Amino acid sequence: MPTPQTPAAGRPDGPAAGGLVLLILRRLRDGIITLALVVAVIFVLTNLVGDPALVYAPVDATDEEVERLARAFGLDDPFLQRFAEYFVDVFTGDFGDSHWQKRPALNAVFDALPNTIMLTLAGIAGAAVFGIIGGIMAGARPGSVFDRVNNLTSVAALSVPNFWLGLLLIVVFSLRLGLFPTSGKLGWSSIVLPAATVAIVHGGRIFQLVRSATVEEMSKPYVLVARSKGFPRRTVLWRHVLRNTGLTTATIAGWEYVRLWGGAVFAIEWVFAWPGIGTLMINAAHRQDFFVLQAAVIIAGAFVVTSNLLVDLMYRAIDNRVKAS
Amino acid sequence: MATGAETAARAEPAAGRSRRSWRGHGWWVFAAFLVLMAAWAAVPELFMPFDSDRLNPLRRLLSPLAVSDDGRHLAGTDSLGRDLFSQMIRGTRLTLYIAVVATTIGAAVGVLVGMLAGYFGGLPDRLLMRLGEAQTAMPMFLVAILLLSMLGPSVVILIVVLPTLVWPIFARVVRAETLQVREATYIEAAVATGCTVPAVLFTHVLPNVVPRILVLYVVEIGHVMLAEAGLSFLGVGVQPPDVTWGLLIADGRPLLTVAWWLTILPGVLLGVVVLSLNMLSRRFEQYAGAAA
Repeated sequence: MPTPQTPAAGRPDGPAAGGLVLLILRRLRDGIITLALVVAVIFVLTNLVGDPALVYAPVDATDEEVERLARAFGLDDPFLQRFAEYFVDVFTGDFGDSHWQKRPALNAVFDALPNTIMLTLAGIAGAAVFGIIGGIMAGARPGSVFDRVNNLTSVAALSVPNFWLGLLLIVVFSLRLGLFPTSGKLGWSSIVLPAATVAIVHGGRIFQLVRSATVEEMSKPYVLVARSKGFPRRTVLWRHVLRNTGLTTATIAGWEYVRLWGGAVFAIEWVFAWPGIGTLMINAAHRQDFFVLQAAVIIAGAFVVTSNLLVDLMYRAIDNRVKAS
Repeated sequence: MATGAETAARAEPAAGRSRRSWRGHGWWVFAAFLVLMAAWAAVPELFMPFDSDRLNPLRRLLSPLAVSDDGRHLAGTDSLGRDLFSQMIRGTRLTLYIAVVATTIGAAVGVLVGMLAGYFGGLPDRLLMRLGEAQTAMPMFLVAILLLSMLGPSVVILIVVLPTLVWPIFARVVRAETLQVREATYIEAAVATGCTVPAVLFTHVLPNVVPRILVLYVVEIGHVMLAEAGLSFLGVGVQPPDVTWGLLIADGRPLLTVAWWLTILPGVLLGVVVLSLNMLSRRFEQYAGAAA
């Protein structure tokens, strides 16, 4: 596969010097640095801001007991040594034991992980379908009734708290109409409402961005040329415009997915008691189970960093192929 | 870089968007509504139909518009017989206070960082922007949950944590604007006549970025309100006896099956406020676009 040396003009990130391989390596390095930063921040938060021994000790523990706990955790060691040990622990998968679930924290997180992946994928698929098709149709005819109605709806969807929207869906579709279960994970129908919540909120944002991209593309001269040559509007839109906005669109959807892992999906999980990372994390927070909480934040952070990396690379890879042809 | 194309896509529409749909004066409605909210926050006593804290077991869980011996309850009452409408008015002050203060701190930090990075370029630019990027890639909402659950939830910590969500956005926009302004002849003239760096930044660069900052500021207040509501809903944000709209939604949730209004109505209020901010920001965006 040839790696074109075209300078990436007009990209916000500056020119990509080498080929694709170099780019991947550089992005990979950035990703690892970011992940290391996440771990460092969490270590500093847990060790400097609070006293871990005091947090883990029972409420009625005496001073000696707290001190014994501190020694057991190795809290007497120098700060930097503990920092290094923490890093080694995290990257070898040792996140400590959950005192709530009586098992390694990482196992609790891995049990919840597939559920969150399932929900985010189902949600983003719905969001992409509605957002992209709606956005293109609205952007093709700005100012039309379809455009205005959808524009207002999507702004409204972006203006309400996502967890509240979930509660509203529960009231309407579970309590009033009795179509879907209110919460938990019992069979396929349980995923409908949480995924719909994700799809509405994030579909709204995808709609907005795809719409602007389409409006902008439609105002370019080549559209006028094609139209004046007699191509029907529909042909110009789906053959010509779509080909040019496709890359932006794919990237927009990708970044919405990243945003889900950055925290947007977790409150929705909590509303529907969906047994994913978010629900696990809030339960852990309420039980002061910081090992599980740390593990969950770091694993979610790894997902954010990885999906960021993938979206970015996808964007550049497609872009380069377009330039090469 | 995570949201580079996104901001690009968002920055463009002013030029291409049909002017027709926004020619109307509909935005006055949103502005007036926000003024009303400011009034609720300033003098809640004037607007509250009932004492928001008064318990009355005889009027528990009345549905919206129901009438009790005390009068009409526009938004119904909660399980302790408190008037929900009065509670929503009471929650306005803290809700707006947290959002405005946190966004202002975030904006101030972001603007300063963006101006410094854009003006000096080179190593400081790369370091500062990398920091912002790294933080954007971090699940800050989760870090906030971790931090708040460790330190114990409090309004002060919320106001420290929330700006971390917004400063990189301000920094990125201001940096881009500063990069353009920096090349202008009047900046060169200012430097040549002996202006110090702070003087150049604050009297010559800042006025140029104000329109863009204002557009962003209005939107981000809304985003911060939603984030605060989320944290409060998850139980790591504002705690009773303080009241915010997010907390009211959380309080109503266990009673969802018997009293939907306790959850739904505070959310409607919050949603309309954020919607108004979004609409106003679009209006500002047009002015900023026209001025540039």
